[in-house]
Amino acid sequence: MSSNKHKAIRMIKDKIFLFIVGALTLLAIIPLFHIIISIFEKGLPIVLERGLTFITGTLSEGGIGPAIVGTLMLTALATIIGLPLAFLAGAYAYEFPNSFIGRATKMLLQIMLEFPTILVGTFVMGILVIPMGTFSALAGALALALILTPYVAVYTEEAMAEIPRIYKEGGYALGCTRAQVIFKVITKMAKKGILTGILIGMAKVAGETAPLLFTAGGLYEVYPTNPLEPVGAIPLLIYTLVQSPSIEDHQIAWGASLVMLIIFLAIFIPIRYSLKDDIKL
Amino acid sequence: MNLRKKIDEFKIITLPAIIIVFILFILILGFYFFSALPAIEKYGINLFITNVWQAAEEASKEVYGLAAPIWGSIYTATIAVLIALPLSLCYAIFVNDYAPKKLKYPLIIISDIMAGLPTIIYGIWGAFILVPLLRDHIMKFLYENLSFIPLFDYPPLSGYSYLSAGILLGIMVTPFAAAIIREAYAMIPSVYKEGLIALGATRYETTKVLIKYIKPAIISGLILAFGRALGETVAVSLVIGNSFNLTYKLFAPGYTISSLIANQFGNAVLYEYMTSVLYSAGLVLFVIGLIVNIIGLYYLKRWREYVFQ
Repeated sequence: MSSNKHKAIRMIKDKIFLFIVGALTLLAIIPLFHIIISIFEKGLPIVLERGLTFITGTLSEGGIGPAIVGTLMLTALATIIGLPLAFLAGAYAYEFPNSFIGRATKMLLQIMLEFPTILVGTFVMGILVIPMGTFSALAGALALALILTPYVAVYTEEAMAEIPRIYKEGGYALGCTRAQVIFKVITKMAKKGILTGILIGMAKVAGETAPLLFTAGGLYEVYPTNPLEPVGAIPLLIYTLVQSPSIEDHQIAWGASLVMLIIFLAIFIPIRYSLKDDIKL
Repeated sequence: MNLRKKIDEFKIITLPAIIIVFILFILILGFYFFSALPAIEKYGINLFITNVWQAAEEASKEVYGLAAPIWGSIYTATIAVLIALPLSLCYAIFVNDYAPKKLKYPLIIISDIMAGLPTIIYGIWGAFILVPLLRDHIMKFLYENLSFIPLFDYPPLSGYSYLSAGILLGIMVTPFAAAIIREAYAMIPSVYKEGLIALGATRYETTKVLIKYIKPAIISGLILAFGRALGETVAVSLVIGNSFNLTYKLFAPGYTISSLIANQFGNAVLYEYMTSVLYSAGLVLFVIGLIVNIIGLYYLKRWREYVFQ
């Protein structure tokens, strides 16, 4: 009798456990749907109402054109600055996983990956913005490059580490030098993983706000042309508009969020689907 | 020919990049240290343990103490981790053990999207949707009915508070912690699970044992999530209320180090010591973040080595 009762209690516990696991999983992912629905609900009317002006117009015309171009400019510049550094550092960490410098490099990259991004912004302000005397696209891009570099480097290292050793041995057996084996054989084979890392790194820095606060400066009335002058960015614009008391500004902020969300999902989902394995963020 | 063999082209090409990375890191550390020095010299330890913010045009009247933002950073990150713990754990268990095949992959993608979503999107949603929701449906209720508990006895006027920031951060770091825990949970050798089931354990009892097996991975996931919550800036500064309140009361508006820097850095040049004070705050964030992340990465590395033995 008591054994039956014991069994019943265990079964009830099991059912409660299953329910809690399911409910909390749902609770963990609900915010995403709520965010997407809210942004469409609040952003879509404003984007539809203004139409093309919203994408191409300046802020006083009710559009975010300069911010979009600014984001593209910052992301491109950051990639140009950060990519060579990231690729070479990643390749080094891959080739020498057991040497002191190799281990230290990997550790450093992982620490920089988790670094508070606002500190990167204030650092670049101190070394570049104050000496130059002006905010600039270059300073913003440098801050973003500092965030992009560890990202891409870690991806490069991991993508290369997945290539079976036998290809490397084959390269050496054919008399290739180390540089040839790594830059010609391994890099080509790990191309897909490295490219994914670059794209995810670019998507990541395109959405950053904090490092731009004291470096980019903001420019929303004319299109940016000179990298040595201030530049705007969509996330920075949203951050500024949210803090404004005017309802009109909030509407533009929602519209800009919608544009950003669509761009992000359009880049992220295809990349994510094209990969079988998990990607780390 | 011989000479060409001796010189390793690979090292020559990559070493400059490695040197630049190292120099950058040392430069950042040194830059923060030297920029913080004037304030630390002037105010001493009081800079970190008192709560004052007196900006004055005369340098002698300026007094600063960073206790409130330091407390706020740690407090909100702790709330975030307390929220992320059950959510990420249940998510990992569900995805690995119970989710139907059709649901499994979408769930992983949803979580990855959440981890990568630009933080400003969390920020605008937090400021305009989440905060009013929490204020009207949760904070007011708790304040009216349970305000004899000191945690809840601050009137939730605006809703911008430690609790709002903690909850928003919790939502943001859950997918990040979940990814680490899920990966570890999937690596548990299936013989353990089969053995437990063969012994007649229920699903609850099986999971309870398996969770113990991946404890180091769970700890590292939560520590790294804590580090992430600590460094988050824009989303927090939009929902925390930005005022110097040194309190544990959940509904009180507060400050975190990163939101303080975001808000004050722009006009800090007007005052003699404020910039240096903010760099000191940054240095504190830097050091706490460094320690937290090194511990988290250490646990993760140890766990991976343990698994791949």
